[in-house]
Amino acid sequence: METLDSTSSSSSRATDLKPENLSLGSSPLSPSVARLWRPAAQRNLRNQWPKLASYRKQWSSFSSAGRSHATALVNAHLSQRYMPMMELGVLSDMPDIRKKACAKLFKQQELQRSSLLSSYKDMVVVVIHMINTSRSMRCFLKGTNRSPLLQFSNCSEDLNDNGDGAGIPVFAFWSISTHEKLAEELIQMFILELSLKRLLVVEFVSIGCEVSHGNRLNWSNELYPDEFDHLRKSNLYSDETHEPVFPRLRERKSDDSAIISDNHSSPEVLQVYLTAWLAEVNIDTYRVDEIFATVGEEMHVGIT
Amino acid sequence: MEAMVKKYQSKFRKVREDMNRWNELQSRLVSQFRNSSSIIERLQVLQQSKNYGNLNFVGGIGDSVLAKQMESLNNILLAMRKTLEEFHVIVMSLKKMHHDGRQLVKGSSSRLTVKQLQQQVGIKPSLVDCLDGLLLLYDMHHSEYLLKSSVVSALSALALKPSSSDIYALQQVLVDQPNIATKEVCVSIGSLPARKEREREIEKFNLFLTSYSPKKSANSSM
Repeated sequence: METLDSTSSSSSRATDLKPENLSLGSSPLSPSVARLWRPAAQRNLRNQWPKLASYRKQWSSFSSAGRSHATALVNAHLSQRYMPMMELGVLSDMPDIRKKACAKLFKQQELQRSSLLSSYKDMVVVVIHMINTSRSMRCFLKGTNRSPLLQFSNCSEDLNDNGDGAGIPVFAFWSISTHEKLAEELIQMFILELSLKRLLVVEFVSIGCEVSHGNRLNWSNELYPDEFDHLRKSNLYSDETHEPVFPRLRERKSDDSAIISDNHSSPEVLQVYLTAWLAEVNIDTYRVDEIFATVGEEMHVGIT
Repeated sequence: MEAMVKKYQSKFRKVREDMNRWNELQSRLVSQFRNSSSIIERLQVLQQSKNYGNLNFVGGIGDSVLAKQMESLNNILLAMRKTLEEFHVIVMSLKKMHHDGRQLVKGSSSRLTVKQLQQQVGIKPSLVDCLDGLLLLYDMHHSEYLLKSSVVSALSALALKPSSSDIYALQQVLVDQPNIATKEVCVSIGSLPARKEREREIEKFNLFLTSYSPKKSANSSM
């Protein structure tokens, strides 16, 4: 059905120019086209959904790597902070022991900071992959149906072709747009969670940096080169305010009045930050599993 | 007699498998306990909005984080109950093992005399000893299972009113398995069997398994 050879594509190019070129779009597909469109669309969806599932797994592993870097960072910072008060016993006789320990802990923090940033970058990239995948669910007719060999592709050649097979069910019940809606619901969770994680990354990376020193990271700072370009792709960068969109929770606006606490690096606050990282409040795991399960059922394949 | 020895040997092999399984479950339960207790200890910190620092700018974050943690805690507590059920399966298997062992002696075609049952060649254990050992193992693990059940219930209760020292004490009880004496610690509660006794039982089983190996069975059976 999806035949790709040079002769057929050149012949379809030629017929393309003819005015009788049938447009897909809103008009129902002719039965013969629909018969050929469906398998191609099915193949495409069977390809895209497992990709989403594997990106989700990648997200989990990056997120947990980020968490262990953040935990190590917090621990090193707290140890350094408590070093002057620490009972060192026999070790206290060693020259410069506290100074050396502090220097080492400082080094560790630098290392964990950059590891955390690279985990964050991994997460940004994986979310972009998710978005791209969710936008590749349509299946467009390539060339014309006049040609004896129909071909399909991921990009639209004809403005009238929506790539959704005029809304017919791809497998049993769902049209392309239903698939897209579910994918959208899924990736929205990850986009929002990414935004929240960014806030936490800024907080973790700023641990130990005093505001007065001017080296403290701000929300509007780029965390790695090209970060803003990446965030733009996930709609997480606002070109109006020229800074990343501030995190919010699912089905909630961020206009609640905030209680500002003065100490942002007390052990309790750091513990809450780590817990918030772990909790992934924007990702409803049950719903995610449910989406993959129902989609798998619809497509008659298990998505794992 | 020889046939019976073989049957006993296969029982002891099964007991060994049960013991290995018990140890696996034990480490699973301990790690589940650690995970749930770390959540429980966090709950109080999570309830105060002053601890959220700059996260407070994200509306509703406190409730969401707390809700997620409660959900995880619930899942772990459920998983612990499942682990307990699996412990119970082992206890039941040990009980059956002892029961079957007794039936074996009672209902054997060639009735064994009391003398035969108590016969002990050198350091080899007698059948009676082995039977007692099975009962002892069942008793220990049964009591330990009951103790674990109450520890898990106590933990669930603590979730509502956390106390670090209580949680730590519970964890210690869970790790120590006081009813099953181990090599490192020996806590004898009341009349419950102490370490040496258990070790002797296990020793006996091992002896039984090795001394009645097929080659030697000709001399030792009558």
